Amino acid sequence: MVRFKHRYLLCEVVSEDPRCRLSLEDRVLGGLVRDTISRVHGTFGAAASSIGFAVRYLNAYTGIVLLRCRKEFYRLVWSALPFITYLENKGHRYPCFLNTLHVGGTIRTCQKFLIQYNRRQLLILLQNCNDEGEREAIQKSVTRSCLLEEESAGEEFSDSGGEEAAETMD
Amino acid sequence: MSNAKERKHAKKMRNQPTNVTLSSGFVAGGGVKHHNGGGRPFQAHRDPHSGTSRQWYPRTSPHALAESDANEQSSSKVTFKRKGGWKAGPEGASQDIPKYITASTFAQARAAEISAMLKAVTQKSSNSLVFQTLPRHMRRRAMSHNVKRLPRRLQEIARKEAQKAVHQKKEHSKTKCHKARRCHINRTLVFNQRQKKNIWLETHIWHAKRFHMVRRWGYCLGERPTAKSHRACYRAMTSRCLLQLTFAAVHCLSGKRQGSLVLYRANKYPQEMLGPVTFIWKSQRTPADTSENRQLWIWLHPTLKQDILEEIKAMCQCVEPTRSAVCVPDSLLTPSQEKGQTDLPEEKTGRKRKREDDGENAKAIKKVVGDGTRDPLQPYSWLSPATGVVISDLTMEMNRFRLVGPLSHSVLTEALKAASVHTEEEDTEKTPHRWWTEVCKNPESVSLHHRQEGVFGLLGGITSPAEIPAGTVLGLTVGDPRINLPQKRSRALPSPETSQDNEKVRQLLLEGVPVECSHSFLWDPDICKSVTENKISDQDLNRKRSELLVPGSQLLLGPHESKVPILLIQQPGKVTGDNQRGWGSGWDVLLPKGWGMAFWIPFIYRGARVGGLKETVMHSQYKGSPNIPGDFPDCPAGVRFAQEQAKNLLEKYTRRPPAKRPNYIKLGTLAPFCCPWEQLTRDWEARVQAGEDLSAAPSPAGEESGPRRDVVPSAPTTERARQLSDDVSTSLNDADVMDTDCPAQAGTEWVAGRGATRGLLCVLRSRKLLRQLSAWCGGGQAARRAPGRAQQGLTREACLSVSDRFPRALVWVRLSLLGKGSPEPHTMICVPAEEDLVQLRRDRLYRGPQEPRHGDPFKSKIRKQREQKKREKGQKPGPAASDGLADGDPTGPQALTLGLWPGPLPAVTSHCSRVLLGFVTQGDFSMAVGSGEALGFASLTGLLAVLSSQPGAERGLVLLRPPASLQYRFARIAVEV
Repeated sequence: MVRFKHRYLLCEVVSEDPRCRLSLEDRVLGGLVRDTISRVHGTFGAAASSIGFAVRYLNAYTGIVLLRCRKEFYRLVWSALPFITYLENKGHRYPCFLNTLHVGGTIRTCQKFLIQYNRRQLLILLQNCNDEGEREAIQKSVTRSCLLEEESAGEEFSDSGGEEAAETMD
Repeated sequence: MSNAKERKHAKKMRNQPTNVTLSSGFVAGGGVKHHNGGGRPFQAHRDPHSGTSRQWYPRTSPHALAESDANEQSSSKVTFKRKGGWKAGPEGASQDIPKYITASTFAQARAAEISAMLKAVTQKSSNSLVFQTLPRHMRRRAMSHNVKRLPRRLQEIARKEAQKAVHQKKEHSKTKCHKARRCHINRTLVFNQRQKKNIWLETHIWHAKRFHMVRRWGYCLGERPTAKSHRACYRAMTSRCLLQLTFAAVHCLSGKRQGSLVLYRANKYPQEMLGPVTFIWKSQRTPADTSENRQLWIWLHPTLKQDILEEIKAMCQCVEPTRSAVCVPDSLLTPSQEKGQTDLPEEKTGRKRKREDDGENAKAIKKVVGDGTRDPLQPYSWLSPATGVVISDLTMEMNRFRLVGPLSHSVLTEALKAASVHTEEEDTEKTPHRWWTEVCKNPESVSLHHRQEGVFGLLGGITSPAEIPAGTVLGLTVGDPRINLPQKRSRALPSPETSQDNEKVRQLLLEGVPVECSHSFLWDPDICKSVTENKISDQDLNRKRSELLVPGSQLLLGPHESKVPILLIQQPGKVTGDNQRGWGSGWDVLLPKGWGMAFWIPFIYRGARVGGLKETVMHSQYKGSPNIPGDFPDCPAGVRFAQEQAKNLLEKYTRRPPAKRPNYIKLGTLAPFCCPWEQLTRDWEARVQAGEDLSAAPSPAGEESGPRRDVVPSAPTTERARQLSDDVSTSLNDADVMDTDCPAQAGTEWVAGRGATRGLLCVLRSRKLLRQLSAWCGGGQAARRAPGRAQQGLTREACLSVSDRFPRALVWVRLSLLGKGSPEPHTMICVPAEEDLVQLRRDRLYRGPQEPRHGDPFKSKIRKQREQKKREKGQKPGPAASDGLADGDPTGPQALTLGLWPGPLPAVTSHCSRVLLGFVTQGDFSMAVGSGEALGFASLTGLLAVLSSQPGAERGLVLLRPPASLQYRFARIAVEV
């Protein structure tokens, strides 16, 4: 197949301040990364990596971010990420940094990785948890995600199904 | 958010997990909401669109938070103060920085993401089929229809997809299963149903499996074979045998020959041509037997049918003594006698034939064969009380197969066997073929049958059908051709040694077929009917064959074998021009209806190749004969055909983007899709007159404005027929027959004087004039060929006299290119300028001049229009838009197409650097000659002017330029008689 090959950088926004994650926006983040690249790699770097650069996915609750860039210059983007030290949105500055979890060739592989990663995180959380109530809640969410896996393998997950799942949680 | 933006967003989100939060608005909204209640009003107006992207996750989160509220813990490194959450109310988020985060919230968010991702991953991406998600080595052919061939994880999705595909498929009749639908009776019903719109020929099913079918002239016709066969068909025509269904026109007098004519509307000879036809007279059995009813069959192209039928009807009503002598009444005249007209005329190229005089038809069978479209209430037979002439429309009453090529004799002699004569001892009572037994009792008929058989046997020894006098008709009664069908398809080869009797052959060639031999029972409608009705079906025949004691041996039906009366008509090949005379000659076989397939298959099994409409056109092109109806611009059918062709070509042209199609304005081609004959001739007339005025020569043309139409209408036809019938015995030489054909017309023309009416287009068909023209064109060549004839020199006076009589006439010309180049239809024939000829003299390989590029004055107009339209679109429909339309439209109507000349054409002749003379109607690379050849029409006035201005050696040189090219190429023009 003839296509443009991309690289997807799956990153996690790590910040002490929870408001930082919640003020994540794709445009803000995109501009931030672009600025950083031009600061670090100069005009050439900015121009080279600006082609095909995009923020493909962003989750404000978990702080997961998926960046897309062309395969030829993904190293420029990647190497610029550590230089991001703060996120500025609506006049507020939140110190944070980006932790690259995975570099993949397709969105799909990144999604698969993210599933594994999240599951691992939940397990770690479960092991370290020493409070009963907490433990129960976490267990619930773990089992739900596992259940979901089975379900979604079968048939497509519909809206109502999701609602039910939410209700059962309550 | 505007609609377009929303759509774009939706597209972006299509293959994303449901809670992907790309829209910045949503993130902010969600975030605020999550964070504190202060965001509520803000969120409220976001809700409508955020609802599309967030599905269940945002809904769950508040609950999750509420739950976590109960057991507030600080187990996470991130602090998140719950109280500052959404319950906190209107205070801003900035003050209440959460100090803790509960593990459960964290877990919730992760779990939600996992599920979203899972969903995204398991969903198949893009709009491909499930089966395509498999790597190639795991795909299996049967997967496309058998879901169980797929890996189990994909089966569910594939099943859904398959259901979707089923709905898209065409609905079959639900009532019947596949097997029932394929059963014979039901198929026949369906076929009858489908024949109602277009007439099917008898071999339709056979053709539909092997040909590209087109609907044309009310028939379903095979256009060209699906196999690559252009060259193969040419070879078949040249050296073997090509089977086509075409009709040709020949006219035959006293049944001995077939003849052809061009019919004109009564009393308007040079104008209002109706179309070319062919006809056959029923032979007289004895010369003295004048009282017998005579029959004349006229074969014509379906497009011409209506016009000619009307005209003939009109003619016969008005009493014409000559005519009534010819056509004799008889037969049943009940027009109400119609049932399903059945029969399939198999003119391959789909022509329909009409028979005049005496008709009767038809039987309705369960299977509709024949004209299914005809309105049963319409009369198909007309009687004129004044003259006693009966005209019947015999469309689809007969089959006509045309065999072209030198091997057609062999095919015929091998495929057909003359019927065996009944002998007394056989018990004939029980057979259904009563008519034949009756005939066999008459010794006269038996001897005639034997003579016909003898002549037919001799044909096998003749190498080419062209050796036989043109239009020879041979009647015959043959046995069922299916009986001696060969096991395998083979090629029939001529066997000269079998034709023992060289003497007899020579005599046959010299004298032609004896008159009486052209009699056939095909003329008798009752016999035809009985033959069609008593045809033994293929099924029965095959059953009998399978019951044979020795498999594969000859089947003997004895008296039960059908006897089929047929007519063989020799089809003259190329009759004009110098080289390759007789090319493309062959035989036409006329069969009673219902017998088409029974004869078709045996012919094919003897090595005949089948051609379609395209092959017919090719045949007529190589023969140099005009193709019907495309090459008759002066008859209504020709005009209609040209319009239709122009429409199709225009549609094809506009289907391409402007950058990928030729800009005909820039190429200087005014009319790439049609030939403006009217304008061409008018322009030439004006040109010549202007030239005369300049040279101060008194032009007699100016005075002749009064339309003098005193030409006798169809006088040529009738007179000619008369003459011919009188001197049948003398017309031995076919050249003479062909010659007299037109001179008769020419004669009337001359007598009628200058009957030319201004303003009407006509095609020059007078043989005398054409011969003269041909001599002028060819320079010395033609004169040498016919030295005996008194040739008029090409003088100014001679030209003037001709062009005065036919100021707006066209001449049928043949053009052969000197060098490279392959002309195509609508190629322009132009007059070379002086310097071109000088160049050519200097360099024999000179390619020809080039047309300078023209400007496109309409391009800016089109662009302006487009811009205006765009502006109007932006403004939305309103009063402004209608104003704009009103402004833009007067000059360029909506149909301004880039690259085509809009509106009325300017002077066509002088538009380009070389003066336009005419157009090509058929042109291609000719495999017979090895260079490009074309046939077309040129303006008579123009041609004469050009010829008289060119010096001897270069006389007849013209330039050809295809519509999509700037390059002119030299060609030599010839008028062929």
